[in-house]
Amino acid sequence: MMKTNSVRTLDIEAKYKQDFRRTILIVDDEPVNLRLLGNILKEEYDIAYAQTGEEAIEEIKNQKEFLSLVLLDLYMPQGNGYTVLDTVMGSEELSHIPVIVFTAEKMAEVESLKRGAVDFLHKPYDRPEVIKARVRRAIELSIGRNIINTTGVDKLTGLMTREYFLQYANEYDKFHPEQEVDAVVLNVSKFHLINELYGRRFGDKVLCAIADGARSVARACGGVACRSGADSFYLYIEHQTDYDFLQKSLTNRLYEFMETQDARLRIGIYPDLYHSANIQQRFDRALHASNSISRNANATTVAIYNNEMYEKEVFEAKLLGDIEKALSEKQFKVVFQPQYDISGEEPRLCSAEVLARWKHPEFGFVRPDFFIPLFEENGRVKELDRYVWMEAARQVRRWRDMYGVTIPVSINVSRVDIFDPDLLEYLKYVVSENGLETDDIRLEITETAYTDSVSTVLDVVMSLRNEGFKVEMDDFGKGYSSLNMLTSLPIDALKLDMAFINGIARNNKEMGMVEFILEIARFLKVPVIAEGVETSEQYLLLKNAGCDIIQGYYFSKPVMPAEFGQLIEKNIGQFKRETASGREKTDE
Amino acid sequence: MTIESLKNFGANIEEGLERCMGMEDFYLEMVELGLSDERFDTLGKVLESDNKDEAFETVHALKGVIGNLALTPLYETICEITEHLRAKDDIDYKPLYDKLLEQKKTIMEM
Repeated sequence: MMKTNSVRTLDIEAKYKQDFRRTILIVDDEPVNLRLLGNILKEEYDIAYAQTGEEAIEEIKNQKEFLSLVLLDLYMPQGNGYTVLDTVMGSEELSHIPVIVFTAEKMAEVESLKRGAVDFLHKPYDRPEVIKARVRRAIELSIGRNIINTTGVDKLTGLMTREYFLQYANEYDKFHPEQEVDAVVLNVSKFHLINELYGRRFGDKVLCAIADGARSVARACGGVACRSGADSFYLYIEHQTDYDFLQKSLTNRLYEFMETQDARLRIGIYPDLYHSANIQQRFDRALHASNSISRNANATTVAIYNNEMYEKEVFEAKLLGDIEKALSEKQFKVVFQPQYDISGEEPRLCSAEVLARWKHPEFGFVRPDFFIPLFEENGRVKELDRYVWMEAARQVRRWRDMYGVTIPVSINVSRVDIFDPDLLEYLKYVVSENGLETDDIRLEITETAYTDSVSTVLDVVMSLRNEGFKVEMDDFGKGYSSLNMLTSLPIDALKLDMAFINGIARNNKEMGMVEFILEIARFLKVPVIAEGVETSEQYLLLKNAGCDIIQGYYFSKPVMPAEFGQLIEKNIGQFKRETASGREKTDE
Repeated sequence: MTIESLKNFGANIEEGLERCMGMEDFYLEMVELGLSDERFDTLGKVLESDNKDEAFETVHALKGVIGNLALTPLYETICEITEHLRAKDDIDYKPLYDKLLEQKKTIMEM
């Protein structure tokens, strides 16, 4: 007897033909017949086999969600075909699967139709074309032709939809328990910019080009692809030992199409060698890997999910669960990083940036670059920001009461805050509640917020400045502000992206960039703040180039309010002199 | 065994090959697999013991396979035996069975 396992394995090559293949179970006790039928149908379908009635029933129950059709030989020695037919038709959860019977007996044709078979085929077999046509029709009738045509295929790219794809991946796994597989997520970096710069129609073409690339890579790697979101794609492929082919093919396809490196992909991969996670988890992890790649990466990049990501993910999940409590229990502390004016002979303390620290009861201090994105993703960053702003303003007021001087502080305004219609009112409330002036609080808005939605941000910034708030453009150099846009921006200071400062050295490219930005700032008549300054070399380079204000470990790390108070105390003479001269100037 | 020899034997090569999607090697492999079926021997034994029901089951199964392989002369002999057994005819099955074995042997030795 032929072993069913040896023929049950799906023919992966055949998958290249179509992205989504349905599965048919062939039931016959004769190996010759099984192989003849399998050979006829394998081009269009994935085939499962059973050689006895008992085996057939077991198989149908196991695969009930995925089987599109059963081809049943009525005449079998153990548990004949009628038993199988009756079992399927008599079961609520199986009767949706259509059954076509094979028989040489005229009487049996009628009998099997009566018992619920959708059609019959003859023995000896009819011509292959007849068999294929009747199989196709039986499947279409059973699931409805329209469903196949409209919901399974993404209209724009012709790839499978995500839903069908996941169903397919599940099905694939059931038939290939031993196959090592990779879940791959492709993301187009800053796709909205392609749409904005070149128009939506061109953007659609880019998506189609990526879809083409994804399809051919998937086929070459024995798998399938789908479009899973506006600008993201999933691939489910055989495990690859390296990903050069995948990366190169996709990059080349994009380059052929655009002839520019403007479009870049972030490719995240989760290799699942033991099927230890379910399909959704695997794609979540691949997505996680893809998100670990910077949106500003200057080439298409591949990241493979690893243990570190797993630990980070678990940690994030834990933190996410604790957000509510952290906000209600006020587990956040505000710290102040001193800013020094270096335009004079001696650096002098002039202001501070307010930063948030989460003192988690279990993990201790959690870094803001870690928890703030979590708050952003969960729509809770507004609450956090408001809490931090109010705490900061209270502290400024406390210092004024203690030392008689007002130290201006910069607070961070997140992207979501900008779209909050109450922003201005709330900030005014923060200021008046603490008896401060609006220019005591400076607002840092990240550069990328400007480039994302120029007109909204401009309106908001104007309204804030009209009320007397000072607005600083944060992380300058990280985004893509055009020079043209810069000249029309209503801002009071430029804050250099830390990445520039990291790399500066005498006469190097980074330093050239910094000098260039300082030129622009002088032209715009706004001061430049450099953050992340750590060494005396960096300090001197920046000072010589004419940078105005410096923040960073070279002077001080972010400190608790009490420690900052001591700094004020130390510099009290200077502050008082400045306040007095400021007052004199006003009197003049 | 070749396609040509099967044709000379009287097999309906066109039909057989069509069922194999035109794949000659696959067809020849299936013919060999079909002819190596143990039930050819089983049939002899049950006919000898005059167990008509079991003989019918056996020959009916062979009919399904040999018919699909389009080995016409052999298929016709099998059909003849099948119909006699279906009607439970009390005849001497030995000459028919011998004919069947002879035809099978002819193909296998080609």
